[in-house]
Amino acid sequence: MGLILLLNGGILDNPPDIVLFLGRFHPVVVHLPIGFLIMAILLQVAARWPKYKPLTIYIPLAWLMGAVSALIAVIFGYFLSLSGDYDEDILFWHQWAGIVLMLMSFGCYFINKKWNNSLSVPKWALVFLVGFLLMFTGHLGGNLTHGSTYLLQYAPNPVRYMAGLPSKVEPRKKVAVLDSADVFLDLVLPMMQSKCVGCHNEGKKKGGLLLTSYAMMMRGGESENTIVPGDALKSELVRRITLPMEHDDFMPSEGKLPLTDQEVVLIKWWIKIGAPSNGFVTQLDTEKALTSLVSNYLGLDKNNLFNKKVPPPDQAVVDSLINRGFVINPLMKDNYFIDANYSLSEYTLEASDMDILLKLKEQLVWLNLGNSKVKDAYLEKIGLLQNLVKLDLKGNEISDAGIKHLSKLENLESLNLYGTKISKGVLELVPQLTRLKKIYLWQTQVTSENIAELKKENPGLTVIYERE
Amino acid sequence: MGHHHNTKPKVISRREMLGLSAGGFGSLAFMGLFGTLPFGCKRASHLETASNLYLGPHYLPKAKNVIFLYMDGGVSQVDSFDPKPRLAKENGEDPRKKFKVDATQFDNVGKILKSPWDFKQYGECGMPVSDLFPHIATCVDDIALIRSMVSNFPEHTNANYFLHTGSGLQGRPSMGAWMNYGLGSENKNIPGYVVLDGGLIPPGGLDNFKNGFLPASYQASVFKAGPEPVANINPREGIKNLQEEKLQFIKQMDDSLIGKIGEADAVESAISNYELAYKMQSSIPELTEFKEETEATKKLYGLDSDDPHLRGYASQCILARRLIERGVRFVELTCPNVGADRWDQHSNLKVGHERNAHAVDQPIAGLLKDLKSRGLLEETLVVWTGEFGRTPFAQGSDGRDHNPSAFSMWMAGAGVKGGTIFGKTDEYGYRVIENEVTVHDLHATIMHLLGIDHKQLTFRFGGRDMRLTDVHGNLVKDILA
Repeated sequence: MGLILLLNGGILDNPPDIVLFLGRFHPVVVHLPIGFLIMAILLQVAARWPKYKPLTIYIPLAWLMGAVSALIAVIFGYFLSLSGDYDEDILFWHQWAGIVLMLMSFGCYFINKKWNNSLSVPKWALVFLVGFLLMFTGHLGGNLTHGSTYLLQYAPNPVRYMAGLPSKVEPRKKVAVLDSADVFLDLVLPMMQSKCVGCHNEGKKKGGLLLTSYAMMMRGGESENTIVPGDALKSELVRRITLPMEHDDFMPSEGKLPLTDQEVVLIKWWIKIGAPSNGFVTQLDTEKALTSLVSNYLGLDKNNLFNKKVPPPDQAVVDSLINRGFVINPLMKDNYFIDANYSLSEYTLEASDMDILLKLKEQLVWLNLGNSKVKDAYLEKIGLLQNLVKLDLKGNEISDAGIKHLSKLENLESLNLYGTKISKGVLELVPQLTRLKKIYLWQTQVTSENIAELKKENPGLTVIYERE
Repeated sequence: MGHHHNTKPKVISRREMLGLSAGGFGSLAFMGLFGTLPFGCKRASHLETASNLYLGPHYLPKAKNVIFLYMDGGVSQVDSFDPKPRLAKENGEDPRKKFKVDATQFDNVGKILKSPWDFKQYGECGMPVSDLFPHIATCVDDIALIRSMVSNFPEHTNANYFLHTGSGLQGRPSMGAWMNYGLGSENKNIPGYVVLDGGLIPPGGLDNFKNGFLPASYQASVFKAGPEPVANINPREGIKNLQEEKLQFIKQMDDSLIGKIGEADAVESAISNYELAYKMQSSIPELTEFKEETEATKKLYGLDSDDPHLRGYASQCILARRLIERGVRFVELTCPNVGADRWDQHSNLKVGHERNAHAVDQPIAGLLKDLKSRGLLEETLVVWTGEFGRTPFAQGSDGRDHNPSAFSMWMAGAGVKGGTIFGKTDEYGYRVIENEVTVHDLHATIMHLLGIDHKQLTFRFGGRDMRLTDVHGNLVKDILA
């Protein structure tokens, strides 16, 4: 206590670094009294049994170790509190509970040392109190570090009700389509939650800033200009996350995982358009400049197709395709997606084969009809094979009239049209194939102007159209 | 085959084979041997005791086929893909004063030897490539380079076995055999594992390409360089019926032998070999005549070159593409005999490496470009590697000795991240200092790209579930797209 009073003399407002340095050891040191005191209580209880009677002589030592380490923890804890980063209310209770706990531990030591057999009732009352205070102080400490919602965040609802908490917040459903993505709820808030609220929460409030909700974010922290709607560069938040990582002011601090380049771009854009509290990204992004970035950020450009289970293919259908010269192969062990290849067949493909293929439309993801005399008319049915990811049509006499039927293949990632008669029809088709990543157009009638346009309109697409 | 008698090789017996197939002699569907069983087709019940019943990829594959460009003898990493400016600075100095020198095969350690070739950066990725490979250099944006390969063996024969079979000793199945065992071949008329012999069979011989304890049908078929790649491919009989009747007679005799002695892998595989050979008589000439290839294509690969070795390797590369197009699972190309040994320049590095590089550079670049424009690179993994690297110091005055402690290899195509460089060697290119990749890791990664979990593809032999990667192998994830 004397030390604390001394310290109150003047270094409170501007603690020297050495004090803060020692203070940061509090979370380490504090585990010593926790362990020692629990051990002391257990020894005290165990020694009541005749078998463990010999342990009695160690009880005072355990209390002494607990008490002394508690004293050190209290001093370091006080140093840490001088940084001023903590919620004052919780801090007050944590600090005084800790000090009382330390004093009571010394009390237990003296009782056990001096009056071991005489003061039975006060002794047990004190031991019980120490146990209780230990839990209470530790819990408050945890709240200070992790935020008061941390402990029970994943508790079952009945437990949460007992603690007076509302039911668990149902996590916002993962966005399935880009058009339903909300600028704040699906972009900004999740970023804050994963990268920022560890320090900027109700319990910790570093820099006086709370990043747990829209209102709190807009209110800002110690700096007035945390977020300046419409001006990203004047916003302190943007300045902090875009500084060089070595800079003192860089956020997140202390080597915590920084925001990604994508996230920085999205935050800046959100502030630039006025930091709205809600609104659909696709409507706010009038220039469509961020469409691909956002869909990539939200993982919407990944194909979910392979996450779903498909039923086994009908054996009779598979057999009839094999008899027609198809090579049918499974593509994975724990699902029934298949690959069908006609390019090695010695027969000639017929319109009726398309009807057989359609019976496998759930399972069929790779289809090779290269050099198979595919006609434009066949593509109408091929266009219904909704799960196709790869489609190889090279070396067939097909034209723009045929490939327009492929526009509904929303899972298609690779389309091989090398050596076909198609021309500028691809310009209409490609924008409709939202997942398309690669298209092969070597030796077609697509002109170099068409290629240039195709590349310009579809920046993410790999267009392979020449060889030498 | 004496060491096989304690185990029962997993083959489909002749009777089961006939039961599975339909039609007469010429149209037998040998999917059990040279292709996967038709999807959903059941194997005979006694085979289900085998630990690995499932045929096909374990997870969605990136590649369907492999073209393995084997740079026999050991290309020098510091003269090809791993530039080391320090060698030029310290050229002629004693390596023993710079770093610890391991024992070398010929114990003839000379001075530090700078590369006779300059390096330039190529492509969007800026990957440095030496002047040995000006054509391959134009493809670097499709190439994932590993500079941190190591081998367990400093000598050709063991290192060849190790690279091909995952074991330094003779007798284990080659990776091409493993892949056909795991995935089957899509073509019924051509074997699923083909070695295109450019003139030099690597030390260790044909055992590099064998089936080991896997059924005999998974071993490689070696196609020769030259006008008749497969010996006796043209029937000798003038009349077609005569050959068929002969074969029919042999089959009757074999059948009666099997009736007496029961199942026998040797006899059954021999029968299926006759049958496949018969089918190859029609499929191979079509394959090896390049009638449909345009002049532009031939030129791209270098078939118009003055260098006969380049022309030879060019036709191997075209043939490799044609085999892949026909669904052959694994094609390996061996090196042409350029008259200066394989890449094994213990002396006269400059001449030897230059001749070898000249023969393969343009054809390989042509292959990569041709595969890419046809959409085949998306499903074909091209692997370029030797069995080990070479020392940064000279052997004698102008050669380089074997160095298993560091070498460079690259892959291109399906599922690899083009334009990446993985791993690092020390300033002399002598040892790996970062991200070491073992041959087992390479095997695991190649299998992964084909959709195979290297830990799941096993074959019970000698009381153990054997793997290509034995008990080793970690995926090289950083080069995966």
